[in-house]
Amino acid sequence: MKGKEKRKEIYRCLNCGWTCVILEEEAALEHCPNCLCGIHDEDREGNECGGITEPVGIWVRSEREWEIIQRCRFCGEMRATPVTEQDNRIKILSIASKPISSPPFPIERIGEMTKIMGGSGETGGK
Amino acid sequence: MNRENKKRKYDKKYYRTHPCTDSFTCKVCGWTVVSAGAGTDHRNHCPNCLYSIHLDNKPGDRESECHGRMEPIGVWVRKNGEWAIIHRCVRCGKISSNRVAADDNPMKLTALAMRPFGSTMISREEIRGMTASMEG
Repeated sequence: MKGKEKRKEIYRCLNCGWTCVILEEEAALEHCPNCLCGIHDEDREGNECGGITEPVGIWVRSEREWEIIQRCRFCGEMRATPVTEQDNRIKILSIASKPISSPPFPIERIGEMTKIMGGSGETGGK
Repeated sequence: MNRENKKRKYDKKYYRTHPCTDSFTCKVCGWTVVSAGAGTDHRNHCPNCLYSIHLDNKPGDRESECHGRMEPIGVWVRKNGEWAIIHRCVRCGKISSNRVAADDNPMKLTALAMRPFGSTMISREEIRGMTASMEG
């Protein structure tokens, strides 16, 4: 009976309720492929937390290797988890474009600065 | 002043409640940084290259023994709409978030925010395909 049993687990996201099947051979999911949230099991000192980590930013580690920066809703600790194949592309782009939609300075200033720099890429001022 | 200096030396939480007015030279780019002009009492990264140094475990405690360089890896928007820089220690991998200062290099900040769009991980064709499938 044991051999006939199909070894698979069902992953259920505690944040958005997304369910998907994980086969035994595959590694366990670190974050939900739909909403990119995860569960904060342990912090750096090894204390249990259990909060939901929500995605706040994208880290471009190298050309083909991106990581999602998550922040725990409960304790505020930040951590990074690698982007996988099945992750929601729209959600990733939406997180990446969030800072651009609310810049801390007027966008016109960027144009002025580029003009001052003459496109040389130097920031000057030393 | 003497008493204040003693307090600074022995009180572990001194910098959590007091502004830090020391000036320093950036270990990464050599920029001389003074505390004035940041718009905050706690200048914790170089305004030119945005690098930081891993000194604190919790904000202001100066408890960390790592002292590694902390590389800016991204920005995020906090609930109040303010930007914060995400720093990652090159030595131990700790990730922390720091508020932007008023005189931070705007070009560097924008470059950090635009980094995912300059990469080829999600190609233009893929985005085009996604929008086409969503439009039906």
